[in-house]
Amino acid sequence: MARTLAMFTDTSLCIGCRACQVACKQWNELGLEEPEWTGTYQNHAHFTDKTFRLVRFIEAPGAKPNGDLAWLLMSDVCKHCAQAGCLDACPTGAIYRTEYGTVNINQDVCNGCRYCVASCPFGVVSFNEQTGTAKKCTFCNDRIHNGLGPACAKACPTDSIQFGFRDELVAKANQRVEALKAMGFKDAQLYGADSNGFLGGLNAFFLLLAKPATYNLPENPQRPQRNVVVDSLFSIGSAILVGVGALLAFRERGKGGA
Amino acid sequence: MLKMPGWEMSIVWYFFLGGIAGGAYFTAAIADNVGSRRDQAVARVGYLLSLPLVAVCGVLLIADLGVPKRFMNMILHFKFWDPMSIGAWAVGIFGAFTFVSSVLSFTSSESMAQLRRRISLVGMLFGFFLAGYTGILLSNSAMPFWGDSRLMGALFLASGGSTGMAAVALIMFLTGRSVGEAWHKIEVADRYSMLVEMLVLALFLGLLGAAAQPITTGHFARLFWGGLVGAGLIVPLLLNLFGSRVRALGLVSAVLVLVGGFILRYVVVMSIQG
Ligand code: SF4
Ligand code: SF4
Repeated sequence: MARTLAMFTDTSLCIGCRACQVACKQWNELGLEEPEWTGTYQNHAHFTDKTFRLVRFIEAPGAKPNGDLAWLLMSDVCKHCAQAGCLDACPTGAIYRTEYGTVNINQDVCNGCRYCVASCPFGVVSFNEQTGTAKKCTFCNDRIHNGLGPACAKACPTDSIQFGFRDELVAKANQRVEALKAMGFKDAQLYGADSNGFLGGLNAFFLLLAKPATYNLPENPQRPQRNVVVDSLFSIGSAILVGVGALLAFRERGKGGA
Repeated sequence: MLKMPGWEMSIVWYFFLGGIAGGAYFTAAIADNVGSRRDQAVARVGYLLSLPLVAVCGVLLIADLGVPKRFMNMILHFKFWDPMSIGAWAVGIFGAFTFVSSVLSFTSSESMAQLRRRISLVGMLFGFFLAGYTGILLSNSAMPFWGDSRLMGALFLASGGSTGMAAVALIMFLTGRSVGEAWHKIEVADRYSMLVEMLVLALFLGLLGAAAQPITTGHFARLFWGGLVGAGLIVPLLLNLFGSRVRALGLVSAVLVLVGGFILRYVVVMSIQG
């Protein structure tokens, strides 16, 4: 396995220009969509089968250090989780991990069962009605295999999205948190940088200026498959109860039937 | 911010019919193996019912895919811990068992009947699996309520038992076989299954607590409490307990159990996606 690649999205630098969102659409030829009215500048409300990078516009009362309303921006993307629910759920093997640690969907293998859609803790994977397959950010798989970074990172004018080796980016990100804290952003924190943390760490991780919940991110996302053994044991218990019930009902009392 | 998979009515039907197929088959297998000669009527109805139902399940499962012609991709890529993957396998294997058991249910030779009983003991395991795995499929997802429940598989399995037995009872009634001991036994078996289902449902709700709100409150609450708990479990159980002398009440009870089983799959699948 090659050295793990990552994207680091520093939301404190985002100016909401959506260059990343547009660059992603263009490079990946994602096609047109009807705009949606979401009540803010944000468009669309969620990831779609044609929107893999999505700049979120969040109005958070009281989230500024001085207690004012904070207008938070966050360019969101598939997290390329080290323990990816989508990958574990996929029954066809269409979802695979590349040698760089990224998570990708092979469009020629996916049969559109949509289990990955239900198994992503971040609501990333989307079903495409035209192709009948599941779609999400590919980490610009074609570009990274040709020595280029993802289109979004390339397009970002403020370096809010940075691309590189994971270990180097994490070190940089930690310094950045310290610098922001010194400036008075007391809630500045990394999300998914810790490879001992939830989901084994995210290969697309973030610097947030407020608690994850403010960005509608789960505080502690879990692998959806973590309970398969417990659930199976309970089901076996239920099978035994029902089976014994039927056994008692049909059991022969005395030879030749009652 | 989570995304719904868009599993809708065909998946509700798949879960419902798969439960009946599994339940009818394991009931048949048990009746065949421990029952009297007369209970073979139950066994035959169960085997013959599970065969077409599992065939319909296969069609529903394939038709609901985005690219149905790539169905084989989820057979070729075997993941033993993944409910979707082993589920597809199990439908196929269970289908083969229902076919063999159905054919052998017409035999008059005792040695062939013996073979059928042996085979059904193995097929029965796949029947239990088909009835229960669909719940485990839901509970191993990132969705709220589905992913929070630890007893979804156990609940679907118990419901598969009660609906499978109710379906067998219904067919026996409609084909004029609702007299005598075998009919009585299937009613008793169904009674036990309903009791297990109630117990599991109570634990399911208790463990979920507030996470069960998608079905216990709001839009789906009336259907859940009235349709499943009331009309689909309590009423048929009372009819089953106190109306066993009137055969028509047994019929009503069976129909209600089936409707309740459908409502269970419907509210679980649709509530959070609505
Ligand atoms: S964020 Fe979702 S889609 Fe992306 S790798 Fe993680 S589980 Fe898969
Ligand atoms: S929809 Fe495609 S990518 Fe997603 S789990 Fe199913 S086969 Fe895998």
